[in-house]
Amino acid sequence: MTGTIFDIKEFSLHDGPGARTTVFLKGCPLRCRWCHNPEGLKREEQLMVKTARCKSCGRCFMPCEHPECQLFKRCIHACPEGLVEISGKKIEAKELAGILMRNADILNFNNGGITISGGEPLMQWEFVEELIESLDCHTAIETSGYAEKDIFKRIIDKVDYILMDIKLADREEHKKYTGVYNDRILENFEYLKSSGKEYIIRTPLIPGITDTEDNLKQIGEIVGDNPWEKLKYNKMAGLKYPMLGMEYMIK
Amino acid sequence: MKAETKQLYDYILNKEHHKFRKEIELEFDKNMSPIERMIYRFEEICKAETPVILKGEEIAFIRTIKNIPDIFTEQEWEEIKEKHYIHELGYMSNLSPNYERVIANGLLKERENADEYGIRVIDAILDLVKRYKEEAERQGRYDVAGILEKIPAYGAVTFREALQSFRIIHYSLWLEGNYHNTIGRFDKYIYPYLKADLENGRITEDEAYDLLVDFFLSFNKDSDTYVGVQQGDNGQSMVLGGIDENGQEVFNLVSKMCLKASEELKMIDPKINLRVCKNTPLEVYELGSRLTKAGLGFPQYSNDDVVIEGLKKLGYTEQDARDYVVAACWEFIIPKVGADVANIGALSFPRVIDRVMHRDLKACTSFEKFTDCIKTEIKKSCDEICDNIKELWFVPSPFMNICMDCDIYDGGKYNNFGIHGSGVATAADSLEVIKKYVFEEQSVTADELIEAVDSDFEKHSELLPKFRFETPKMGNDIDEVDELAVKLLDWFADGLEGKKNCRGGIYRAGTGTAMYYLWHANEIGASPDGRRKGEPFGTNFSASLFAKINGPFSVIKSFTKPHFERAINGGPLTLEFHNSMFLDNDCVLKVAMLVKTFIGMGGHQLQLNAVNMEAMKDAQIHPENHRQLVVRIWGWSAYFVELDKEYQDHVMKRQEYVV
Ligand code: SF4
Ligand code: SF4
Repeated sequence: MTGTIFDIKEFSLHDGPGARTTVFLKGCPLRCRWCHNPEGLKREEQLMVKTARCKSCGRCFMPCEHPECQLFKRCIHACPEGLVEISGKKIEAKELAGILMRNADILNFNNGGITISGGEPLMQWEFVEELIESLDCHTAIETSGYAEKDIFKRIIDKVDYILMDIKLADREEHKKYTGVYNDRILENFEYLKSSGKEYIIRTPLIPGITDTEDNLKQIGEIVGDNPWEKLKYNKMAGLKYPMLGMEYMIK
Repeated sequence: MKAETKQLYDYILNKEHHKFRKEIELEFDKNMSPIERMIYRFEEICKAETPVILKGEEIAFIRTIKNIPDIFTEQEWEEIKEKHYIHELGYMSNLSPNYERVIANGLLKERENADEYGIRVIDAILDLVKRYKEEAERQGRYDVAGILEKIPAYGAVTFREALQSFRIIHYSLWLEGNYHNTIGRFDKYIYPYLKADLENGRITEDEAYDLLVDFFLSFNKDSDTYVGVQQGDNGQSMVLGGIDENGQEVFNLVSKMCLKASEELKMIDPKINLRVCKNTPLEVYELGSRLTKAGLGFPQYSNDDVVIEGLKKLGYTEQDARDYVVAACWEFIIPKVGADVANIGALSFPRVIDRVMHRDLKACTSFEKFTDCIKTEIKKSCDEICDNIKELWFVPSPFMNICMDCDIYDGGKYNNFGIHGSGVATAADSLEVIKKYVFEEQSVTADELIEAVDSDFEKHSELLPKFRFETPKMGNDIDEVDELAVKLLDWFADGLEGKKNCRGGIYRAGTGTAMYYLWHANEIGASPDGRRKGEPFGTNFSASLFAKINGPFSVIKSFTKPHFERAINGGPLTLEFHNSMFLDNDCVLKVAMLVKTFIGMGGHQLQLNAVNMEAMKDAQIHPENHRQLVVRIWGWSAYFVELDKEYQDHVMKRQEYVV
């Protein structure tokens, strides 16, 4: 099974217990306005240019013959600063597992493991399933909770730890700011509670959107006594938008 | 920190004590011998010093004479240099004196065994102490006066006396003109005093901590008058933890207090080194990581399991090896009896590659032939470096000599010379390029490669991104490249093996760079790894600056592969983390475990930085708002705003690659 990933991050500290390696899967059905991983939104490979340091030398615009560059009409092997890259790499689940397991000794020693994140990893659930089955260590998933019930259940049952977002409690607000209603998410949360799995609910604090008293109170009621973490908004979140030719909607 | 100490802290931070400073001018009679000049200078400066006791200060002594006039004129130096090899400023530096003995004995007892010069030095110190005592009495500071009445003339009994005695000894060593005066195994030799005080109910733990904080301030009072390449490069290294001569763990209450005091003060001195090993409890690493979080660039960790074995292989006795300390930056030295010159020279790996590439590459029919030439050239370079060091001579330092257990002029028990090795990663990455493209793929000819490098990649510019970004780099746990680095270091050790130096010692290979990461980089142009002309190498033992690195796990794996027991002069791997990584205690614990992982995997030395790019950018514009921002340079920490722009930029440049 082939999937598309856009990053692997070693020693991620905020993605579950212990020291972990997090793999980011490409594609997400939501469009949160504040999303800090814009390259995780689209399933397809994308051109990513670190524009801030570009010296406008024009080398990457010269025609080239690399097949991988043709789609983008820009050469990814020409930049002397290494600023032009393709975000998104197709990889077999087993091969990915092999790469991740190279550091199994360190992960185990540090009571950590592998976290599968995104985008929304459940968009590639079959790939995720095969990946988990090939990993011989503690596994975690970072999800928006937006997935079909059966799929959600199927994957949750296979991982050791779940980090799930509840961003907005109000149905309409959720639609307004993320592009989808939260019905599925709340329904999946019910399953998560009954699953017996270790998990944590997270709410990103977006000024004026999710950090309102009202929203936090309502989420608090939904979550009840279960583990809940509020994540501070990172001012650098908009950094990558210009690199993808996109505009960040939060000011 | 208690209120009085906080006041003193602000006072020192605001450099208010600088108002007591003045300059001294001295003339030296041409006929005076060097040692007589040293004594004369020391006596004159002691006499010229004005006793100053600051408000709320418990550990006294502060410099008021800011300059130490050279005992030789420029012309005299020239004459000396004609006959002798002079290392740096000419003094025996980077020593770790026997504070333990001098504190315990007191100077009067030391005087009994001293030669005529030693006696004069001690008398000068005691005279200054007497004047300090009188000043204390005049100010009604009978606590200080009472202590100075006894020490350092007599041996210290209490914790406070021991700290005050240390301060005077250390102060006098600087005043004598010595530099990079390290602190050694402070927790080991000071703890007995604290223990006795606590047992006798003379002091509480809180009071002891307050005293220690006051004492830590003393390292920052005069340090700007100490000589070094840049502010901060002063060698006040303190070593905590590790095993003692008998294999027992040293880490104790004083070690803990020191880590805490350093974290609370956030000052660049003393520089903390933490000795650890596989079996060191996680709690110790946790305390260390908490200090890392403070952003000072220390503690620096060294691995007893690896360092002690390495030193033994070089001929140090087991007992001495177990007692190792860290010199100004990271060189492993032996306290009390060691007179090693741990930083006498440096080999540039990239220069070796550069030479051999230009001279032999075209004629080599295989990569193995090429690496044979590299090996030979490394040996040749080692010979050149070593042959150059003959007739080494040091300015005599009578007080330092008293504080050591050996006669440092004649040579200590150990007289080995340490040679740094700069640009290991740049060299390994360069070899990888040559191996892959010139020999395996044969897609680039030797001529093309040389042309590209010589033209700083103006010619064959398409090779630059390929070499720079698309070729395996050291730091990503790719055996193929890492093995090349392992070999380079082995050949370096081979190149020095069996060589005797002019003081009867041997040579030690190391992984440090000091400022050579800049100097050596400027000696050559571009390099085959895609490094452009003028770009520095990584500092010490780290990946090339532009290498795209997977992350800390891969780095640790790559950098624990070499045979450190053969290249144990010192020089750490540096890991840099954005300070946001240290959100909470959970993160501190995770970092602690990562350090323990590194040690468990057999790494020799590790230094961690918590850096804040935004703060550095702002500090270049508004230095006044960032006086306390500390960054790590090569083996020492400095206040960012006090650095020359070149170093500021380099520290920031390192960050471009950390997202
Ligand atoms: S090659 Fe790099 S520096 Fe030149 S225009 Fe393209 S992105 Fe900018
Ligand atoms: S769910 Fe996560 S990845 Fe998807 S749009 Fe929202 S923030 Fe971005």
